[in-house]
Amino acid sequence: MKLRALLLVPVLLLGGCQGDDERGGTGFGGSGETGGTTGGDEEPPVEGEFAEPHIRILLARQYVNAIAELFDDEIAELAAPRADVTLNGFDAIGAGQLSLTDADIDDYERSATAIAAAALASPTALEPYLDCVPSGPDDVDCLSSFVERFGLRAWRRPLEPMELGRWTNVGFTAALDFGEFERGLEFIIAGMLQSPNFIYQIEVGVETGDGSGRRKLTSYELASRMSLFLTDNIPSAALLAAAGAGELDDEAGVREWAATLLADPRARLAFDEYFEELLYLRKLAEIAKDPATYPGWSPYLAESMKVETIALIDDIVWLQDSDFRDILDAEHTFVNDVLAAHYGVAYPGPAGFQKIPVPPGEKRGGIFGHASLLSVLAHVSSTSPTIRGKFIQERMLCFSIPPPPPEVVTDLPSAEEAPTMRDRLELHLVDPVCASCHQVMDPAGLGLENYDGVGRFRTAENGVTLDTQSELDDVPFDGALELGGVLRDKPEFARCTVLNLYRHGAGHVEAPGELAYLDAVEDAFVEDNDYRLRQTLVDLVASEAFRYVGEQD
Amino acid sequence: MTERSKNPRHPRKAPIIRSRGLSRRTMLRGAVGGTSVALGLPLLDIMLNDNGTALASGGPMPRRLITWFWGNGCAINDPNNGDSGPRFWPASEGPNYEPTAQLAPLFDAGVIQYCSLLSKFDVKSGSEGRRGHHDGCTFFSGHPFVELPADGANYSSKSGGPTVDQVAAAQLGSQTYLPSIQLQVSKRIVTTEGPTLQYLSHKGPDQPLPQIANPQQAWDKLFASFTPDDDPTTPHRLAALDAVAEDAKALQQKVGTADRQRLEAHLASVAQIRSQIAATAPECVQPAQPGETNADIDGQEQLISVNSVMSQLLALAFSCDITRVASVQFTGSVGYTVFNDLGQNLGHHDMTHAGAENERVDAATIYTMARLADFLVALRDMPEGGGNVLDNSCVLVSSDCSTGLTHKTFDQPVIVAGGGGGALVSPGVHYRSQTGENSSDILLACLQTVCPEATQIGGGIGLSNTPLTAILA
Repeated sequence: MKLRALLLVPVLLLGGCQGDDERGGTGFGGSGETGGTTGGDEEPPVEGEFAEPHIRILLARQYVNAIAELFDDEIAELAAPRADVTLNGFDAIGAGQLSLTDADIDDYERSATAIAAAALASPTALEPYLDCVPSGPDDVDCLSSFVERFGLRAWRRPLEPMELGRWTNVGFTAALDFGEFERGLEFIIAGMLQSPNFIYQIEVGVETGDGSGRRKLTSYELASRMSLFLTDNIPSAALLAAAGAGELDDEAGVREWAATLLADPRARLAFDEYFEELLYLRKLAEIAKDPATYPGWSPYLAESMKVETIALIDDIVWLQDSDFRDILDAEHTFVNDVLAAHYGVAYPGPAGFQKIPVPPGEKRGGIFGHASLLSVLAHVSSTSPTIRGKFIQERMLCFSIPPPPPEVVTDLPSAEEAPTMRDRLELHLVDPVCASCHQVMDPAGLGLENYDGVGRFRTAENGVTLDTQSELDDVPFDGALELGGVLRDKPEFARCTVLNLYRHGAGHVEAPGELAYLDAVEDAFVEDNDYRLRQTLVDLVASEAFRYVGEQD
Repeated sequence: MTERSKNPRHPRKAPIIRSRGLSRRTMLRGAVGGTSVALGLPLLDIMLNDNGTALASGGPMPRRLITWFWGNGCAINDPNNGDSGPRFWPASEGPNYEPTAQLAPLFDAGVIQYCSLLSKFDVKSGSEGRRGHHDGCTFFSGHPFVELPADGANYSSKSGGPTVDQVAAAQLGSQTYLPSIQLQVSKRIVTTEGPTLQYLSHKGPDQPLPQIANPQQAWDKLFASFTPDDDPTTPHRLAALDAVAEDAKALQQKVGTADRQRLEAHLASVAQIRSQIAATAPECVQPAQPGETNADIDGQEQLISVNSVMSQLLALAFSCDITRVASVQFTGSVGYTVFNDLGQNLGHHDMTHAGAENERVDAATIYTMARLADFLVALRDMPEGGGNVLDNSCVLVSSDCSTGLTHKTFDQPVIVAGGGGGALVSPGVHYRSQTGENSSDILLACLQTVCPEATQIGGGIGLSNTPLTAILA
C-alpha cells in the first residue's frame, strides 16, 4: 500500500495519546497543550475546588415543560424558546456558559406574549394563581396577590418586595389602560416569563463559612436543580413547600425527595431525553445517508431505530430496575415492523414496539448492536470505525482524544486500493504520528465492521470477507455482544456513566474538588447498588457534589 | 435557530405598512384585496443628490458588510503533494485576472469584475491552538479561538472574540431595524465541537449568533416582525421589558463576574428588542412569503433553491435598509453536506480527506462558487441610486482551511466582492501576498468600508492595525 510522503516534520503535539494510566474522570491533558486561552475571566479550578456557580439557561424542553406545569399542555404548545447549544458534549454545559442573543430575547418575548394571551383565553389556566375576585381594573391587592402566587411557581421561589411591587405595577398600568383587570394579568404573565428569574436556573448559593470555600445551594435553588435534573421540569408546589419548610436542608430530606421525583412518570421522559442526547440519537432522523448505498433509509426508519435504543435503556432502568450495564450486552431488544424488516427478522406483532431476541447469528447484544448507534456513528455511505471507536472512548469511557496533529495530511486510500475499512485505516495504525491516538480508537470500531453504515449485518466488504477480531484497550472482542462484555467489565464505564449524568445535571464538567464526592457515588453504583441506575441517581443528587457549588469569582 | 415556524398557532406580527422621515413624503395609497395599503418606495432618485452617490439630505448611501462562508476548503492542486496549494487561484495577478475553473461561475454570471482575490495570506489568529478547522474559522474574527478543556469530556472551542461582521454591527446596528442577520443554507453542520465550528457569526466567546436556515423564518424576521404604530399593547410590552431589565440588574448584584457579563449581554439584547418593538417599519415593499422552507426532498437538501431565496431576501432587506450586516453560512465547517445536485454521495468533510476524491471536492467548490455567484447577482440586480446594492456592499468570502486534505490555514481561499460604496478597488484584483501577510489585514480593510474610523481588528497574535490597501480604492 502506497504511503504518502506528505507529513511535515511534526511539531510535537505534546502528549499524544500516552498517559493511559490516567483515564477517566481525572482525564488527560488532551489538546490543552496546544494553547488557546482559557475562557473569559475564569481560571480552571485548582485541586480541591468546586466549580464556580453559574446561572443556567433552561433547556428548551425544560422551558416548554415549565409552561405545561404552570398552565397546561395545550398552552405549552405555544412555547417556543431558544434552541440549546452544546458545549463539551452537553446542552446543559452550554446553558451554563453562553449568553443570550438578540434573537433569543426576541424569541422569548414572542413566546411569552403568545403564552400569556392563551392563558387569558383559557377558562382554567389562571385559577391556581387567582385567589381573589377582582373588584375592577384598579384592584391592586388582587393583582399583587396574583404576582405573588404566580411568581412563586414561575420563579421557583418567593418574591422579594421590590419584585412584587415592580410586577404589580406593570399589571396595574396595563389593567387601567385597557379598563380590564385581566389585561393586567396578561402583561404580568408575559413579562414575568421573560424575566431572568424564569429563563435561568439561578444557582448562587450561600457561603458555608467552613473554610472549604464552597457555597451551599439554598433550599429553593436545590429544589429547582433536583426537579429540573430528575424530571426536566420546575418544582411542583409540594416540592417548593418542602423547600420552604427546610426539608431539603439535609441529605436525608434530599434523598427522600429525590426518590419521590424519580417515581414521577416525567422522570422516565427526562432520562429518555438524556440518553438521546448522550448517544447522539436526537438528530438521527435528519442525518444524511446515501440512498444508493442504503435504499431503505428513511426518517421513519431512523426514528424507529432511536426508539429501539431508548426502549431498551428505559426497560432496564425503569421497568426492570436492573444492572445498568445490561444495556451493553442484553440479548433482547425492541422492534416495530419497519425495524424488524430492516434487521431481517420476523415482527411478532400485533402493533408497536415488541420485545424480541436479538437477530440470531449476528453477534449482536446491547446498544452497539443497535442500528441507531451504528448509523449515527458512520458516514453518509460507509461505516466509520474511527468515529465508532472515538465514541466508545469519549462517551462511554470518558477518555478524551486529542486533535490530529497540525499540518498532517489526513488522507486515506480509496476502496480500489484497499477493499475493507481495516485496509484503508491501516495507515492510521502504522504511521507513528497517527497511531498514538488511532490505536486507541480504530480497533474498537473495527470489531463492529460486521454492521454496515445503517446497522445491517454483513460478512464481506467489496467482496472481501471481513476480519472483525479486534480489541478494546488490548482486551479482545469480536462483534457487539462481546464488545458489550468488555465494556461491562471496565471500571471506566461505571465511572463515566456517573460523570456524564453529573455533567448534565450540574451543567459543568466536574471540578477536581467535586470528584472526591463523585468517586463515592461511583462506589455506591458499583458496590452498593449492583449497578442500578435509579438508586444511583438518588445517591448523585444527595451527594455534596450536587448540593454545593464553588466560590464566585 | 428557532422552532417557532413549526408552531402554526404562533401569532404573526403585522406586516410593514408605515413610512417615516424626511424622504418619505411620497406615499402611494392603494387598495389590495379591498384593504387600504400604504406602499412605500425604495430609495427614489428624488432622495439622492445630483450624482446619485449620496442622499439628498447629505448622508452617505448605506453600505453593507456581509460574510459568506463555505466549509472544508478547496481541492488541492496535487493530492500527492501537501504543499501544492489549493485549486483556486489564477496564475496572473492584478486586475482582469483570468478566471480559473473554480472562478468561472463568477465570470459566467458577470460579477467577476466585482471580485478581488487574496492569495497566500496567513491566518495568524489560527497559529495559536492548532486544531484543524477551528483554527481556520478564526479568519473571520482575527482572534485565536478559546479551547474548553475536555478533561474526559468532549472537546469544544468557542470564538476568541467578535467576528468582523459583529464589530461592524456594533457600530452600525443602531441605524437599522436589525443590527444584523445570520443565515444558513446547508443544514448538515457539526454541532458537537462547540460554537467555533457551528456558527459563522459571533459577538464574543459566549455569544455565538443563532442562524436561520428556513427562508420563511428569515422572511418573518426581516419583513414581518414590525409592530404597527397604533398597537395598543406596545407600551405595556415595553413596560414589561423595562421590568425585565430591572430584574436582570438586580440579579447582577448577586452573581459572579462571568454571569454579570452574561446578564449584561442579556440587558443589551433586551434594549435591542425594546427598540425593535418601538420601531416604525422602514419604507419597503413587503415581499411575498417564500414557499421554500429548506425541507429535504427524499432526504436531499435543495441548496440551489434555498440559497437563491435567501439571496433575494437579503438583497431586498438591504434595499429596504432593514439591516446592513449579514452572514451566510453556505456549508458548515467539518460539515457533511452531500452535493446531490452533482450526483455525489459522500459527506463534504469526509470527501476532503480522501485524495482519491479530489476531483469531486473540486466539483463541489465550483458548485459553491456558483451559489456565491447567485448571491452576488441578487445584490447586483437590486438597483440602488445610480448603481446597485452590490456597488454599496462588501462581501467577505472564505473557508476554514486552504484545503481540507491538509487543514492548512496558510493560503485559504479569500474573495472580497462588491464596491463597498466606492471604498473597494474596482475592478477587483488578484493580490498575492509575498510575505504571508496577516489575513486580519483583509478583515480590517473590509471593516473600514463600513466603519471608516476603525483602526484595528482581532486580538493577540491575530491582531491587525494595517488594513490591506491593495483592495481599498
